[in-house]
Amino acid sequence: MADFALLHRPALAGAKAGSFGAPSTGARITLTALPEGHVLQVLAARDSDHLQDLIPRIGDGSPHAVRPYGPGQWFVIGDAALSAAEIFGKTPLLDGMASISDQGHGRIRIGISGRAVETVLAKGTAVDLDRASFPVGRSAMTLIGHISALITRTGAESFELLVLRGFAESLWDELIQMSLEFGVDARATQ
Amino acid sequence: MASLIACPHCGPRPKEEFTVRGDAGITRPAPDAGEDAWHAYVYLRDNPRGRHKEHWHHTSGCRRWLVVERDTMTHTIHAVSDASAEGATA
Repeated sequence: MADFALLHRPALAGAKAGSFGAPSTGARITLTALPEGHVLQVLAARDSDHLQDLIPRIGDGSPHAVRPYGPGQWFVIGDAALSAAEIFGKTPLLDGMASISDQGHGRIRIGISGRAVETVLAKGTAVDLDRASFPVGRSAMTLIGHISALITRTGAESFELLVLRGFAESLWDELIQMSLEFGVDARATQ
Repeated sequence: MASLIACPHCGPRPKEEFTVRGDAGITRPAPDAGEDAWHAYVYLRDNPRGRHKEHWHHTSGCRRWLVVERDTMTHTIHAVSDASAEGATA
């Protein structure tokens, strides 16, 4: 028996929340801590790059559940928490061509939206986020400042960031800084 | 140092996202090749002026090993390819 109980605390529960920066510019940024549901890392076996059509089988069917970030590498994301048994139960769906690793404890999602969202993110990353080259549903693993994050466009003026848990609050604070000129509403509670 | 590397998987990215391993032209000696061969493989490197092929790791992107051909004098990037595409191990 464990000597003490492990309590799951949302990584951003104690993060800065409220309204910051310019009072009203019409291009306000909204930062949201998203539910810590499930984050599954899927790695394809060698020479299995053609698995794109297979991966959605283990997702929950929601838009942007499957996020590719390199050849044969995906994150599958959803709002519902999954037990170890439920995750293990998904393995046969990949016909032995890829493995699943639960990263729900290790990565945090942050939603960022607003008319100036591309300008804000461009302060941190060199990825071209223009809608023509980075359409809705596209993902890119990159650096935001010095913090590694997976950027996904979820809408015309909204993105989701997937970041290592230990860096989540740092990134959160930096995003607030980067958004000050437009004004920002940060909602850390879920 | 070149500032933009055109990753074949991710597109153009700044050099800060990468880690350089070094010369891509070196082949690993056989286990019994002897001390001199192993010393050369581990420690001895040319310092070329001009075109040079190197292994770069896209650490903060797709995490793939790439072969980057660049000019050490002008910083021009001539070619970038996935290391596995050439049968090279990294």
